[in-house]
Amino acid sequence: MADIKTRNHVWLHVVLISFTVLAIYPVLWVLALSFSGQQSVGLIDLPKDPSFLERFRGILPVPAHWSVKNFTEVWTEQDFGRWMWNSLVVSLMTTALGVFLACTAAYAFSRFRFPGRNVGMLMFLISQMFPGTLMLIPLFIIIVKWMGLGNTYVGLVIVYATTAIPFCVWMLKGYFDTIPYDIEESAIIDGASRLTIFLRIILPLAKPAIAITALFSFMTAWNEFILASIFMESEANYTAPVGLRFFVGGFTSQWGYFAAGSVIVSLPVVALFLQLQKYLISGLTAGSVK
Amino acid sequence: MNFAEHLKRSAVLGLAISILITLALSTWMFRAEESDLRLQHRQRLAVMHANALALAVANTNVEETGKRVSDIQKLDPRIESVIIVGGMQLVASTRAEDAAPRQLGREEKALFDLSDQIRTARETNRGEDVVRKKTVQIEEKTIGHIVVTVPYLSDGQFAGILQMKFNTTGPDVSGADIFSPAPDSYTLPALLFLAALLAGSLFRMSTERKVDFTKLLALGVFLLIALFFQQQRLERLERTVTQANQAIAANYLAAAQQYDRLGYLALPRDNSSVNLWDTDHYQRPLGLIAADGSVSAKTQAAYFDKRSGFLKRILGAIDLLGAAVLLMFLYGYAARTFAALKEHADAYTYVAPAMIGMLVLVFFPFAYGITLSFTDTTLFNEFLPFQDRLIGWANFKAILGDVNLYERTAGGIIWNYQNFYWTLLVTVAWTISNVTIGVTVGFLLAMALNTEGLRGKAIYRVLLILPWAIPNYITALVWRGMFHPQFGVINQVLQMFGMQPVAWFDGVFSSFFTGVATNGWLSFPFMMVVILGALQSIPKDMYEAAEVEGADRWQRLRYITLPLLRPTLIPAIVLSVVWTFNMFNIIFLVSGGEPGGANEILITKAYKIAFENYQYAYAAAYSTVIFMILLVYGIFQTRITKATESF
Repeated sequence: MADIKTRNHVWLHVVLISFTVLAIYPVLWVLALSFSGQQSVGLIDLPKDPSFLERFRGILPVPAHWSVKNFTEVWTEQDFGRWMWNSLVVSLMTTALGVFLACTAAYAFSRFRFPGRNVGMLMFLISQMFPGTLMLIPLFIIIVKWMGLGNTYVGLVIVYATTAIPFCVWMLKGYFDTIPYDIEESAIIDGASRLTIFLRIILPLAKPAIAITALFSFMTAWNEFILASIFMESEANYTAPVGLRFFVGGFTSQWGYFAAGSVIVSLPVVALFLQLQKYLISGLTAGSVK
Repeated sequence: MNFAEHLKRSAVLGLAISILITLALSTWMFRAEESDLRLQHRQRLAVMHANALALAVANTNVEETGKRVSDIQKLDPRIESVIIVGGMQLVASTRAEDAAPRQLGREEKALFDLSDQIRTARETNRGEDVVRKKTVQIEEKTIGHIVVTVPYLSDGQFAGILQMKFNTTGPDVSGADIFSPAPDSYTLPALLFLAALLAGSLFRMSTERKVDFTKLLALGVFLLIALFFQQQRLERLERTVTQANQAIAANYLAAAQQYDRLGYLALPRDNSSVNLWDTDHYQRPLGLIAADGSVSAKTQAAYFDKRSGFLKRILGAIDLLGAAVLLMFLYGYAARTFAALKEHADAYTYVAPAMIGMLVLVFFPFAYGITLSFTDTTLFNEFLPFQDRLIGWANFKAILGDVNLYERTAGGIIWNYQNFYWTLLVTVAWTISNVTIGVTVGFLLAMALNTEGLRGKAIYRVLLILPWAIPNYITALVWRGMFHPQFGVINQVLQMFGMQPVAWFDGVFSSFFTGVATNGWLSFPFMMVVILGALQSIPKDMYEAAEVEGADRWQRLRYITLPLLRPTLIPAIVLSVVWTFNMFNIIFLVSGGEPGGANEILITKAYKIAFENYQYAYAAAYSTVIFMILLVYGIFQTRITKATESF
């Protein structure tokens, strides 16, 4: 019996290890490329008629020469620093605006019973069903053509913040609902105004949920690619995603810069994700587990 | 205050507010209509002059063309410049620095493209014997400065294009400013309103009859005022249209005389022939001005009826809205709404910012997108009046009605990759294969990770969810690099085992595979984590009990694991179907829909229609169809979820 079990585990390990290799190979490949100091998509130059071993060396995610040249040059010689700055400003502004809008709305949905409450919450849900491209064209016409906000931070920020609202409101409302109402009642008896209660009691108590909301808004803006590529036409206003595509899409292929940039852009996001994934998953499956 | 007093008060208030709303909305509509009319008027003028010159230079040689163009341009100060392009040649130009005739330069490729586009449009219209593509192109980037492009012919064949810069900001030939409106008369509406107030206070009746009477009176007064006002404005609009038409006729006559004097006039000017100068954007004669310059009242009236049909329908809707507002007041709904607003002022204040944001940037664009899908708006005609762009269901007919999915030729079947149903097919295949891969791999790995006593679980888990953590546009670009036909890692592996390298993006199936591989890679961790969570929540004693009862592994999987996974798995699948269906980044960034758009999914296709072909309206219609599909799926999915809940 014990013998069978160990053998099973060996097979399990074989399966798991092969999938793990598949899962991390592209990541290692980008890392190797970013430290290779070169721009081509192949890691090493293969001889004319390569042998099996030489080809195997070619696919190993290890650069031929280690170098941080790509990292330094992407900052100094390319516009990447500027694009990162654009992304950072847009994401931070989106976070601030998104959190403000989501907190106030979620507070009202959680604490007040008013006519139109259910309709409003339903509207938020339905809006999640609108396909991106259907919104893309009108938003392009409204923001860029009518309001003239193409190539500006503001145009992107207001669109990002509003698209993030429904998810944030639903999440925050759920958290606000768990804060006992007694605290507010006693504050009202003590003569506190609604605003005071909201600012002094509810918001501090909801800090963890607000942090998640802020992160979600930030990541929405940080990883968004399509709207940014349409709104930001001039190279100086690119956000990091648009810039990264600029390195390898279309006419140029500077894979080294792309890899270095990708590593810089992904590191914070991946770290945060790995930290927060359990909350995300519990949020996603909350509806299904009874 | 008794009930009757109350009613009287809300009747007066309701009457005032509903009239205000109706008059304001109607005025807004008329303003919009007038500015549309103004736009149409000046563009019609420009088109007329361009047509005239195009007819004058048809069938002439190069020198004569140059001479005629410059002669006419000198006579009319509104014509700022004219160029004529035929094939790769700049045939004539009134700008000295152009030094026509000469070859087109590299930076003038746009002109060549425009000429080609208009030629194709003409041929399409001829070939299909319907008028579908506009052959007159208008650009008005600054108000009043119009650039018109029309085709010109030689021996009845398309010879090239004539582009005229026409300035309508100066004084008109006919002199008068037809669009300076006379002040509106509000006397009658105001008198009626006062009369109603008076009548209301004078009547002394039994309370019950009074109630009905008050309601009826209020409604009657409202309708009278609204209809009177709208009729008045409609008449004014008709006067404006007539005057505008007469102004065009005057322009026509003046220009025709000049052409006549120079001997360039290419059309007869008798009463029976058609006026070929004054056309719509398909170069069909409008028929509003006869060739001798006379204007017929009958055709005018018919034209105005046709033109104002849309407006009248909107005005009707506005009247209905006003009446509804009034009824709300009369039956007390308004009072209740105000009370609610007042009572819940706090709540509404807190909701307002987010709600306004959503209305302006989510719901309005949505409605605007749907409206857009009923027009033929492109980058090139967005300057046109809205009514001229309205084409009804044509976009939807073109998308859904085009069933030429493939062609049978001698060499076999050729698929039409631009067809909607092909793209739909690809999207469905894309969604099904991705979700299947995600669920299968996720399930396998989750089962493996759920094995008791397995070493290194935590490490496996973290490494296996890594693909989910990386921004998906980066993943897509990385895989694009790995599929590189010459240096890509995947072809290296193939060659390592003695196989031929594959040109991944050149074949329909291999290109489809690149997308599926990439998306499979980034989507299995989600499924794995969800299933793992569900597996861990299944109580161990259930398996033990089953084992005691003699159930083998397969039976335990079939009768315990799968049924208990169901409530978690179904919502996760439902969710990932929508995600995959809308997965723009992977297709767009990995294969870009290659080869020849064969691997486009619906939303990348819509994007390309909008931002590579600049057919905004067509793309909006395309997206509306996508929305409908998702909506049907949404309804269907709620049914499924409900069905599984009852298990």
